[in-house]
Amino acid sequence: MKGSLLFVACLLVVGAVAAAQTPKVGGELVIAFGTDPESLDPNKITSAPAGMVLTHIAQTLLLMTEDLQVAPLLAESWTISEDNLTVTLYLRKGVLFHDGTPFNADAVKVNLERFRKATYAFLLFPRVQTIDVVDEYTVRFNLDKPFAPLISHLTHNFVAMVSPKQIAELPEGKDIMEPIGTGPFKFDRWVRGDHVRIVRNDAYWGQKPYLDSVVFKVVPSDATRLVLLETGEVHAIMRVPPLDAPRVATTKGLEVVRVPSVRTIYIAFNYQKPPFTDVRVRQAINYAVDKEAIVKEILGGMGGVSDAPIMPLIFGYTPQTPYEYDPEKARQLLAEAGFPKGFKCTLYHPTGRYMKDAAIAEAVQAYLAEVGIQAELITMEWAAYLAFLRKPVTEATFDMFMLGWGCVTLDADYGLFPLFHTSEWAPVGSNRSFYSNPTVDSLLELGRVEPDPVSRKAIYASVLNVLWEDAGWLFLHYEGQINAQRTVAKGLVHHPREYILAHQAWLDL
Amino acid sequence: MIQYVVRRLLLAIPALFGVTLLVFGILRMLPGDPAQAMAGVHATEEFVAQVRRQLGLDTPIYVQYGRFMAGLLRGDLGTSIRTGVPVSREVWSRLIPTLELTLVSLALATLLGIGVGVVSAVKPYSIFDYVSMSAALVGLSAPVFWLGLMLMLLFAVQLRWLPAAGRGGLARLVLPSVTLAASSVALIARFTRSTMLEVMGQDYVNTARAKGLPDRKVILHHALRNALIPIVTVIGLRFGALLSGAVLTETVFAWPGVGRLMVESISARDYPVVQGAVLVLALAFVLLNLLVDLLYGLVNPRIQYD
Repeated sequence: MKGSLLFVACLLVVGAVAAAQTPKVGGELVIAFGTDPESLDPNKITSAPAGMVLTHIAQTLLLMTEDLQVAPLLAESWTISEDNLTVTLYLRKGVLFHDGTPFNADAVKVNLERFRKATYAFLLFPRVQTIDVVDEYTVRFNLDKPFAPLISHLTHNFVAMVSPKQIAELPEGKDIMEPIGTGPFKFDRWVRGDHVRIVRNDAYWGQKPYLDSVVFKVVPSDATRLVLLETGEVHAIMRVPPLDAPRVATTKGLEVVRVPSVRTIYIAFNYQKPPFTDVRVRQAINYAVDKEAIVKEILGGMGGVSDAPIMPLIFGYTPQTPYEYDPEKARQLLAEAGFPKGFKCTLYHPTGRYMKDAAIAEAVQAYLAEVGIQAELITMEWAAYLAFLRKPVTEATFDMFMLGWGCVTLDADYGLFPLFHTSEWAPVGSNRSFYSNPTVDSLLELGRVEPDPVSRKAIYASVLNVLWEDAGWLFLHYEGQINAQRTVAKGLVHHPREYILAHQAWLDL
Repeated sequence: MIQYVVRRLLLAIPALFGVTLLVFGILRMLPGDPAQAMAGVHATEEFVAQVRRQLGLDTPIYVQYGRFMAGLLRGDLGTSIRTGVPVSREVWSRLIPTLELTLVSLALATLLGIGVGVVSAVKPYSIFDYVSMSAALVGLSAPVFWLGLMLMLLFAVQLRWLPAAGRGGLARLVLPSVTLAASSVALIARFTRSTMLEVMGQDYVNTARAKGLPDRKVILHHALRNALIPIVTVIGLRFGALLSGAVLTETVFAWPGVGRLMVESISARDYPVVQGAVLVLALAFVLLNLLVDLLYGLVNPRIQYD
């Protein structure tokens, strides 16, 4: 908890410093990241790099700010009916797409109807039955059942607005390659595997950007990104290795920026397989591992120890009393459960997917060994790993596995339901550990339909408490991001969605 | 000659057919499913199944292969699962940077390798010989990741002579091509040295010398000419090594090549792109081998094509 407050504080400081100086107009800013966007079609993109580029070009109806509040963007305000079955959005007037097409209610409908045919539609709008154009600047969603996360879902890149003209002219079955949005920057060019370039939109409806252009450069190697930052070929980089951060921080002209992310890392048990069926065993494992040390020593302080299955910035979060590192207590619990000498088990983990995942697995192995649990580490390549973990309970052979979950909608429902509800057991959903608890099930169902935020928060507080006492996982940590930038780059926003945003950035050359 | 070329090209067809079978088979034997990889950790099984259907991956493997081959005959390599872009476009746009890098490296390795090798052979056990052969040993054993980063730190960060990474302009080609060429320079130099030493002990070289020809002429016309045949073979083989070595170099130097595309596509189980890229690289390899064989004749006119 302390850690997260610190992150947020850092964030605010970065913002404040940038605001204190007078911006200069012009120039090209270069940001380096690790992977090429898979697409720039709003309806298709799933990765953070793609979302980061698109956010500059095509805007959403509502905005998720860097302190994770929902704010107006293309919609100026919204109302929700008494029965929570209609949501009305009032749109901003006088907005033009980059091709000159006006932005209005029809444009919204065209975009959303297109998205409803896309693969990922059910994730965001499961309850929306119809979308009505009330007048030129008013849109109404009609739901069959209340769906509380709808408002925050409208901030997702999937529903960024592109010109209806572009959609109309798009051949059947083709994706948008060069999005025409309403954003402060216009698409310029995309050299696959190399870079995407965007240029200032001089007709932008809001505060116009200072920069002439921004280049997003694809640089897969962490070490190379650092070199490029040092030589000045790029102005900001993502994902600095934790061990390099202190050196970068003391290099003249460079600064390190630490930002929270919304991803929680955990080790799940095969909940239906002895000895993990015994709550004392699960609790013992939680006491046996020094999570503080892992975050401090392995992650270089980049992240925070979990005190709930979701991280602090998520709606519905209530902190629980952490399982302090206490090997003695762990041994005692194991003895009570009938394993005074421990037992043997397997621990599956990915490598290179999450920050220091393999090193963390090794540390967990060492901690478990101290209380007598002999965990055999097994690693797999990512695609194979996902397939391995998507087996029905009768075929699942693992004892423990490590995985991460990015709660991108920032709502507890998304962070808990798919992982803990009995109906979501693999292979149907993402409850790969076969967790099952009737109390949790009914509370999670309640949380989905309860309209009042205060009551909803109370419901999730109870869910978290049950999951915590139950030691549903070995709760590890939530990840932070380490970015770095040259001090000449001002006004960059480092967003928890793993974006660097240059909307209001400028170069102090 | 033309007949020979045509026959070699026709023989390449069954080889490439074999490549398609092999790639298709191996890719589908890998655990992990493109639909799952694309849908992500968060997806429900229902959703994964839907994606699988959309991608046509729910049909038996021979049906998928049939579709692939039918497309291939029409010159269509399919569409990338991950990006939705036609594979031919995706591979082509990434093949040019890779060929640029590998061919420059190959040229560098050939000129430097043969040059150093010849000088070492002419003055064996000299200081030049010792230094260059030790350097070659280092070049052979230095990992690309380390070498690339060291060159970057020296020439881009410290000396500021060259840009560190990325593609565009000749200057940006220097560091990656030197890095990629390093082990080939070393190998070719060592190989040239030993072949030259062997050839220079032959009777015809002694005869040439006895005739009173100047050293230079003896070395270049008699010795090197004969030594070149095995050297050309080695260089031809190096092309394959360079192509595969390009994966690491491209990653270190943020070079938008086909090697990186393949690595990314394999981890996403993007079958069409991997198939397309392997096929195109295999074709490049076949064509290059043909070129090497034709070069033999140029180097040594006694070789006949029939």
